[in-house]
Amino acid sequence: MATRETRRLSLLLAPMIIIMGAVIGWPLIQTFVLSLTDSDLMNLSKPAFVGLSNFTRAMRNQGYLDSLKVSALFALVVVLSEMVLGTSVALLLNEPFKGRAFVRGLLILPWAVPTTVNAMMWRLIYNPEYGALNSLLFQLGIIDQYVSWIGTADKALYSVMFADIWKNFSLVSMIALAALQTLPESQIEAATIDGANGWQRFRFITLPHLIPSLQVALVLRIIETVKVFDIIYVMTRGGPANKTRSASIFVYQEAFTNSRMGSGAAYAIIMVCVIMILIAFYLKGISKKES
Amino acid sequence: MIKRRRYQTTLLYIAVVILVIYLTAPFLWLIIMSISPSTDLTQKPLRWIPSSIDLSSYENLLTMGINTRGELFLHALQNSLTTALFAVFISLLVTIPASWVLSRHPGKKSFVLSAAIFTFMLPPIAYALPLYRMLSRLGWLNNSFSLALVYCTIVLPFCVWLIKENIDSIPYDLEESAIIDGASIARRIINVVMPLLLPALGTVALLALIMAWDEYFYALLFTSSKEAITLPVVIANLASGRQSSYNLIAAGGVIASAPPVIIGMLFQRALVRGLVQGGVKE
Repeated sequence: MATRETRRLSLLLAPMIIIMGAVIGWPLIQTFVLSLTDSDLMNLSKPAFVGLSNFTRAMRNQGYLDSLKVSALFALVVVLSEMVLGTSVALLLNEPFKGRAFVRGLLILPWAVPTTVNAMMWRLIYNPEYGALNSLLFQLGIIDQYVSWIGTADKALYSVMFADIWKNFSLVSMIALAALQTLPESQIEAATIDGANGWQRFRFITLPHLIPSLQVALVLRIIETVKVFDIIYVMTRGGPANKTRSASIFVYQEAFTNSRMGSGAAYAIIMVCVIMILIAFYLKGISKKES
Repeated sequence: MIKRRRYQTTLLYIAVVILVIYLTAPFLWLIIMSISPSTDLTQKPLRWIPSSIDLSSYENLLTMGINTRGELFLHALQNSLTTALFAVFISLLVTIPASWVLSRHPGKKSFVLSAAIFTFMLPPIAYALPLYRMLSRLGWLNNSFSLALVYCTIVLPFCVWLIKENIDSIPYDLEESAIIDGASIARRIINVVMPLLLPALGTVALLALIMAWDEYFYALLFTSSKEAITLPVVIANLASGRQSSYNLIAAGGVIASAPPVIIGMLFQRALVRGLVQGGVKE
């Protein structure tokens, strides 16, 4: 009886496990196997086993280390800005004002615009000759000559970050706003009667209420941004002078542009290890929340 | 309610106006570019208001003709839709029964759920290399069906996570009475769980569709021509092309954004609930 039940349950799980195995499990193992070989995209002869040499070379490759730094900086600046901006906007939209429902409705717009469209849109806005940003700043008298926003080494990464923040702060904001709406107004009122000022109400009532949601949004956004590929790739292809080349772009170029599959796989595995550390933090955070 | 002073009200409305401009200006400008004559967009300083309304870029992209921009764009539009629908269909088909097991018999196979959540967080580049070799050996590159299967790496873990959460909130008592009536597992899922799950399933499906519609990386790797290329790849190519006219690129972006933006505006409440559930609950 019990075994029949177990067999039935396994049967219901089987289709999903087969698909996950085929498109997730097997490729992941293969990536690891590839990372120990000198496999080449163009060369079809059997790749040779090279042990850990791809890894030792990877850790000494300055280009790769730089790309990890780009990913880390991107994640840090983008996620921090999104958290601050997202929370502030949620607090603003939690205040009563005329047209609030309408503005709340607009909040989903940046989130809904596809990432590639967002990248392309900001590419047009940043255009050094005919871009809206240059024209606007010039007409306002803020700049006296046009700037090449994504074509200059020291500005490119921050310009891409700004575009990414525009799209993704709205997600943080929607999550924070949803949490704010579950905060009973009676708590705020009670604090006011007790003589708490605006800052104290925020610090001791609103913020603690928000923190669980913000924590999870924070980790999810970090995990997303650490693997950033598409917005940067569409806007700058990793340039100028590799100043915006993230780790994902580096691996992509190594494996597909330089057709070095083996070492590309090693770079990918190192990324996976870094992200696994982040996931461990995330899971630890969740279990703390549960207890 | 806490009373505001007058200067506070003024500050509040100023902040709201700034927010509305920030939220809408980039996308509004994209729409304006898309309906401007191309000469308007290459002036210094820019013409903010179009000299005339010019819909030729939309016409260009949406008219079918052999070897035209329109041909590629319309194919890409169709491919994006097929791939997304297909990926979501497969994912829901296999995750609904699996989520039921994971919800009703927790502990037993819980490693499957952890594995799903874990893989959801890994970078696509960790799977892309072997997938590419596999698809190229099988001759499955540039094919919407195999691309949809690959999209399951993103869509499936998301679906199983959210659907399990939603089945958890359906009381088990309802199923127990069906068990007394001698209903099989399949009957219980179809007759008892499914009707109650449908609204949530709709939300999950919409979120998953938006996710698949947005995907760029795999499509860039695995598709190359009108047979399977998707909209994000075409948009990215338009954006990085040298002599493209700006109004045309902008029109492509507006068309590609229309489905998710319209879905987002229409179903905002449900979608946000789904996102919050997916992100905030464990």
